[in-house]
Amino acid sequence: MKKTEQHQPAQKRSSVTRRDFVKKTTAVGAVVAAGAFLGGKPPAYAQSRKLHYLQWSSFIPDADTEIRRQAEEFTKATGVEVTVEMINQNDMTPRITAAIESGKGADVMLLINNQPHLFANGLDDHGSLMGELAGGDIYDWANGAVVVDGVARAVPLFNIGNAIVYRKDVFDELGLAAPNTWDEYLAVGTALKNANLPVGQTLGHTFGDAPSFAYPLLWSFGGMEVDESGKVVVDSPETHQALAFCKEFWEAACDPGGLAWDDTSNNRAFLGQTIGATLNGASIYFVARRKFPDLADKLAHVNNPEGPGGRYHVIGPRSPAIMSYSEEKDAAADFIRFMFQDDNFSQFISVNSGYVQGLTPKWESHPVWSSDPALGIFSTNAKYGRSYGHAGPWNRASGEAAEKYIVVDMFARAVQGEDPKAIAAWAQKELENVYN
Amino acid sequence: MQTQQTAPEPSLRERLVTALENQRVLGYVLMAPALLLILIFIAYPFVLGVWMSLTDKIVGTSGTFIGLGNYDKLFASDIFLTAAWNTVFFTTIATIFKAVLGMWLAVLLNRKFRFANITRATVLLPFIVPTVLSTLAWLWMFDATFSVFNWTLRWLWQMEIGIFGLVLKENWGFFRGPLWLGDPSLAMASVILVNVWRGLPFFAISFLAGLQTIPPDLYDAADIDGASGWKKFWHVTLPLIKPVAIVVIVFSIVVTFADFQLVYILTRGGPNNETHLLATLAYQLGMGSGNIGQGAAVALFMLPILAFVIIFQLWYLRREGVR
Amino acid sequence: MNAMVGETYFRRLVVFYIPLFLFVFAMLFPFAWMLITSIKPDAELYNPRISPFIVREPTLEHWESLFGTTLFIRWAVNTLWVAIASTAVSLFAGVLAGYALSRLVFRGSTMFGIMIFVTYLVPPTLLFIPLTGVVTWMGLQDTTWSLIFTYPTFLVPFCTWLLMGYFQTIPKELEECARIDGATRLQAMSKIVLPLAVPGILSAGIFAFTLSWNEFLYALVFIHSPETKTIPVGVTSELIKGDVFFWGALMAGALFGSVPVAIVYSFFVEHYVSGMTGAVKG
Repeated sequence: MKKTEQHQPAQKRSSVTRRDFVKKTTAVGAVVAAGAFLGGKPPAYAQSRKLHYLQWSSFIPDADTEIRRQAEEFTKATGVEVTVEMINQNDMTPRITAAIESGKGADVMLLINNQPHLFANGLDDHGSLMGELAGGDIYDWANGAVVVDGVARAVPLFNIGNAIVYRKDVFDELGLAAPNTWDEYLAVGTALKNANLPVGQTLGHTFGDAPSFAYPLLWSFGGMEVDESGKVVVDSPETHQALAFCKEFWEAACDPGGLAWDDTSNNRAFLGQTIGATLNGASIYFVARRKFPDLADKLAHVNNPEGPGGRYHVIGPRSPAIMSYSEEKDAAADFIRFMFQDDNFSQFISVNSGYVQGLTPKWESHPVWSSDPALGIFSTNAKYGRSYGHAGPWNRASGEAAEKYIVVDMFARAVQGEDPKAIAAWAQKELENVYN
Repeated sequence: MQTQQTAPEPSLRERLVTALENQRVLGYVLMAPALLLILIFIAYPFVLGVWMSLTDKIVGTSGTFIGLGNYDKLFASDIFLTAAWNTVFFTTIATIFKAVLGMWLAVLLNRKFRFANITRATVLLPFIVPTVLSTLAWLWMFDATFSVFNWTLRWLWQMEIGIFGLVLKENWGFFRGPLWLGDPSLAMASVILVNVWRGLPFFAISFLAGLQTIPPDLYDAADIDGASGWKKFWHVTLPLIKPVAIVVIVFSIVVTFADFQLVYILTRGGPNNETHLLATLAYQLGMGSGNIGQGAAVALFMLPILAFVIIFQLWYLRREGVR
Repeated sequence: MNAMVGETYFRRLVVFYIPLFLFVFAMLFPFAWMLITSIKPDAELYNPRISPFIVREPTLEHWESLFGTTLFIRWAVNTLWVAIASTAVSLFAGVLAGYALSRLVFRGSTMFGIMIFVTYLVPPTLLFIPLTGVVTWMGLQDTTWSLIFTYPTFLVPFCTWLLMGYFQTIPKELEECARIDGATRLQAMSKIVLPLAVPGILSAGIFAFTLSWNEFLYALVFIHSPETKTIPVGVTSELIKGDVFFWGALMAGALFGSVPVAIVYSFFVEHYVSGMTGAVKG
């Protein structure tokens, strides 16, 4: 271990800081100085090697347990102590921003979707690690999520797929078949709503389920935010059609509560048996299997319906990234390698029970997909995958548009009865504001 | 007794003591801790923040100067205008409710009754509980599927059906009740409700403090004149409590205007930006999309409005001769 | 209070007891709801068909998960420490500044007064990104000290403002008497004025304590390690599990995050009221 060289700069910086600190605050005097002394961490060189890994707390508790296990194994193997911190996904962005702005924080962070584009300036060059771990096999869209101006800023690890989960027993009872097109879904949903188990979908400001529903709906009618060159083209007849359909679908088939839902509401509603179908990750099935086995036996999944423009799912990888300020880049890279190890990643997929998918074709044949017929469909997600900001590149602007919920709000406005043309014009203006 | 010329060669300590007898020296010395904290932790970051608002800073870069470019963009965005309007609306309505209900509650609490102290302590509770946590409780109570309010409404609704002899089925899904956070107009009302719930105790207790300073003989005089309770409130209580009220209201406006946690927890600005406030928009732009320059511009936009409010306060206080 | 004389019981019921009851009920209902939610088993919690008011099989599993699987106690200790220390810092600065501004005549005092007011207006959403830099520059990141020194940014203005008003209510003559007897200005301040100002200082302190106890944004951004977090941040970022069933533990966290402060408050409420009186009646 190159302990001493590695920590030399840290020691120097911290002592300078402290001296400056005291000098610049002499007037407050003893209180402040004592504070800095007591509160400052012991100098880094006195510690053994430490790595701080920050990720979201997964919707699947077992997945978090598995990551903690891997971290412990890693410590045993390398002597590098790993602090695993898991926080609410919504709180990730401020933490990443603050860490980059201040040059201090976790060494490795699990980024979502196109965050590598958003935070490119604070992330290390992952070129060689990417080549080593993902090679040429990785799906193109996953590649696009992390490669910024030709430089990989993270290494995509997994995707969280989604599918429509529905009550097979109710479908059978009502004589319904799993919908293949949006029109069929409308008919199915209408029957479900009449049976008091409507389709449950959120159009609120929530980062997961709302865009996962809204974007594919837009795409499958042929609408898109921008063209290949990044020109905003959302105000189109296709978009108008999608919006008009959404209003009809919402009124005839959906639980009106959806406008206020967050990512967990449809899970609760489905398990509370107040809705009959919803687009979600495998987490509903996962929880049902463990807590309501009777209900789990009645569940089935189907892909998003097809529209005139095709069939789509929103995809977006989760990618661990080494921060450029990290003083433990080697250990960080080793930790990422460790997570990518076949046995570890395979175990990770298994405990997730279908919730996550690998990003190279070899994981499509993982036993988890055949272990339970209800789950197989999630492995096909990548085939229909599109990312925010299609057909343009997956850049910071597409992330900002998603963050502002412009596409989601288009549909929210539609179901509230606004004119599709006016909505599309509004979105055109707001998207141009973001993209130009 | 400031002059103590007895000692021919004053020691350092004595010189210090003498220096501190000088109002000007002592004034600066006593101001020093506060000024230092403000300089380091507000003035410097503030200047930096203002600079950021004039640059195209993206997270991780230093950004280049673009003048008022961020403001141009903001004023071209409906989302910003909506958020600005929402903020003004939210602050105004919430403050009015807090002031009126707070005054009412203060008048009630000002009476003598058993358990007065414990009651005063209890009504303070919403103000002292960590906002994020109490807001989470509200989020749960507003839940679209599991809302306790809606359950109660449904229950009452079913009772009514029962009374009118209609069919009473195990058909709970028939009537779901209002969508507290999903219906565009209700969402804002719900957010305001939570803000009022949280801020009311501060108003009530502050007003109560003001009420207690009103000399009882003023009421006696009013009684002799045969004034009714309402008249006494209008002509005796209100004028006397006005200075207090202004201070409390202005203070509350400042806090409410910059409120972030409520919306961050309850709706994140949804549905359809109906509840987006400037603070949450600033956060969304600066944090969520890494557009720190624009985020800073939104946050800074709050200042002139607040400054106007505070100038009004200073002007008013000076006119009333308070302070 | 003469207003009550001659009031009939019925009138008193209508204009006093019923409104008061409604107020207290509205103020307390969410807390009752936290309690009910925190002791309900998941099966009842997520069944929308049964009455949510009745807990059929009360359980302590959520409490156990709060105290057993999270660092809640640690967070509580941190929060307490941060709140006490930042209150102390703010009171120290606020008392001195408030005294200087209300009692001493010196160049720029009006300007300083205005400046302190104005700092109160600067929105935290503007400050927190630049502040991150300041905090790192001082080497305070990820320590509770980062909060102890940044919370005074919003506490000092309020404390100063409150105490200025309070100092003005204390007759100048008392101080002058002491100084005629040979006390220095500082002695007069610490021996005569401050003891009289205790209720005001106490109420400013309680207020500062509350705001520190509640703060969310700075604590979210400046603190990284789970064991350094405060209650609001710890509970929301680590207890809002993606898992669908988290409401029980979350509400237990909310309950235990507020009750201790409430108990402290109940002892001080009288002082709080009288302190405010001083501040607002200049």
